[in-house]
Amino acid sequence: MAEQSLTLPQQKIKAQAQVKELTYWGAVRRKLLRDRITLAAIGLGIFMVAITLAAPWIAENILGFDPTDTNLRIRNKPPTWATESWPMFQEFATTCQRGGCEWSLWGGIFSSSAAGLRECFAAAPGECHWLGTDDAGRDVLTRGLYGGRISLRIGAYVAAVSMTLGVFMGLISGYYAATWVDDVVNAIIMTLSSIPLLFLLIILAGTFPVFRSPEGLSFLLGIFGWMGVSRLLRGQLFSIREREYILASRAMGASIWRLMFRHMLPNVSSIIIVVAIFDIASAIIAEAGLSFLGVGIGPPNASWGNMMSGSLGSFTKAPWLVLTPGIFIFLTTLAIYLIGDGLRDALDPWIKNE
Amino acid sequence: MTRYIVRRAIQSFFLVWLATLIAFTVYQLAPGGPIQFLDDDPTSTSADFNRLNRIYGLDRPVPVQYITWLAGEDWPPANETWRSGRCLNNPDRCGRGIIRLDFGRSFFFKGQPAIDVILERVPATFTLAFASLILSVLGGVPLGVYAALHRGKFADHFIRVSTVLVNTVPHWWLGLLLLIFLGGYLGLVPLSGMYTVGDGSLLDRLHHLILPATVGAIGGWIGFSRILRFEMLEVLNQDYVRTARAKGLTERLVVWRHVLRNAIMPFVTGLSGIFLLALSGSVLFETVFSWPGMGRLFITAVNARDFPVMMALFVIGSFLGVLGVLMVDILYSFVDPRVKYDIVK
Repeated sequence: MAEQSLTLPQQKIKAQAQVKELTYWGAVRRKLLRDRITLAAIGLGIFMVAITLAAPWIAENILGFDPTDTNLRIRNKPPTWATESWPMFQEFATTCQRGGCEWSLWGGIFSSSAAGLRECFAAAPGECHWLGTDDAGRDVLTRGLYGGRISLRIGAYVAAVSMTLGVFMGLISGYYAATWVDDVVNAIIMTLSSIPLLFLLIILAGTFPVFRSPEGLSFLLGIFGWMGVSRLLRGQLFSIREREYILASRAMGASIWRLMFRHMLPNVSSIIIVVAIFDIASAIIAEAGLSFLGVGIGPPNASWGNMMSGSLGSFTKAPWLVLTPGIFIFLTTLAIYLIGDGLRDALDPWIKNE
Repeated sequence: MTRYIVRRAIQSFFLVWLATLIAFTVYQLAPGGPIQFLDDDPTSTSADFNRLNRIYGLDRPVPVQYITWLAGEDWPPANETWRSGRCLNNPDRCGRGIIRLDFGRSFFFKGQPAIDVILERVPATFTLAFASLILSVLGGVPLGVYAALHRGKFADHFIRVSTVLVNTVPHWWLGLLLLIFLGGYLGLVPLSGMYTVGDGSLLDRLHHLILPATVGAIGGWIGFSRILRFEMLEVLNQDYVRTARAKGLTERLVVWRHVLRNAIMPFVTGLSGIFLLALSGSVLFETVFSWPGMGRLFITAVNARDFPVMMALFVIGSFLGVLGVLMVDILYSFVDPRVKYDIVK
């Protein structure tokens, strides 16, 4: 009887007010849906992932080329639609180097490019190299699509490896702050951050062929890339471990693992998500660098980095070899950066942006 | 203070030792052994292999090899266990150990001492790194200050957006693009190298330096301006800045004397990574611009499996990196009187 009289008025108020409770993830979603830039970035990201996933289908049905088919008769050829305009552009460049740029050439460049593009749109698969061919006569666009499969895979793997390691190390050193465990983790971080890591990566990848597969390279990049996360988490946990709820659950006899994974980790999960996303971008860029130097993904596999490595001798004659993979990288990492940036705001949904 | 320096010095020494250990482990674990490069020559036989193993002393126990690589082989007993074949045949050719700056002889560069091969390329790397550093400080500091003072305005947003955009591509790729466009099509800058053969004039060298140094400075512009903007904004909110304004100082004086001087402190710590950054950057930028420095030598050595040069570069690089961090730490304690090192949190 007494219970009823106590609960009834509350229910009444709830029914009257009709306030819909907003959960954390609900708030995150609401904020994200209002953020047009992030939505566009997510769209771009999905597009990049989709075209790389669909690379075999696109290559076969739309482009009509195989990424490893070499044809030495068409080495370093310009895009098919620019067959006529490319020599004109080179002539223009030569006049510029001599002093006076011959701007009148551009009329011809534009009209012949347009005509070429029209022809290319009408051509059957396998007749038009949209972005030219490389030094072995392979279609650059096809290789770019296939390369994305490897580059994106490496990005995801590296983020997974470095996040797992970094979160684990960060949790441990944050939990055991100012004890010998923390000292050990700090010593490892200090060692890794005072030797030239790029040198070490190159030595390891150059010496052991294991590290030249996508999985091996990701492992290598991952185990040398976790220090930032660990340091960040450690700093965050420093304040979290002093909170009352940690003390409360410790008083209730919670184990270390429960404390770390049930109480500490969820409180830093938003940071982890954001850092993981940025990690994918930096891994893609790092892979490109290593493969460009010839110590990453090796031929015949295509990756965005190694597509450029063959271009060093001929980049002025065949700039599409440099441009194509670079633009792929640019679009992908731009999407990732913007998504990461948007998520960072969205995962703090209660804070109003000014 | 002294205790702090001594402790840091011991730590640094330990780090460099660790780097030698890492280098040596890789060398020993290399598939096919350290003289695998012989496989590239189809005429080599197993007799050649054994002969070279003896000459380079690769048939000795691994710890012995490590010790003699570190400390030289001219002091232990003169027998087959301790000395390499080369050393036994001719005592003048004994390895003197990396502590005496003898990193062995290069496999690839016709048996030249590895240290000579490296020293030849040091000036090129330092020229490029130093020029990049100067450009990045000259560009990054004003950018950061300007962005902080105009917070939330167009300039601030513009700087932020452009730094994000530049960070979405590899900086060496930007270098490659600029090289194609400015060098290849407009002919404004040379396409490769440090100077035109036969013309070593200062102007010619500067002409070759300008693009690599600018591209090398991009990372610095972004990093420095970001750190400085953040620090400036922190300091601008301090009470003493309000006091300085309240007592009627001109804005210029407030910014220069009160804000910048305090904001620059954490910036100095950011400099500690500069050696490592310069070394790492050197590998990619020197490859792109065909710059004859240590970075490109490193890639050549790795591709030729030239272990003496490779290991030497790694150890020297680690030494420089550790030294840089140590120097900045010590410098920092002198610059900022508030830092007390003997109190550990």
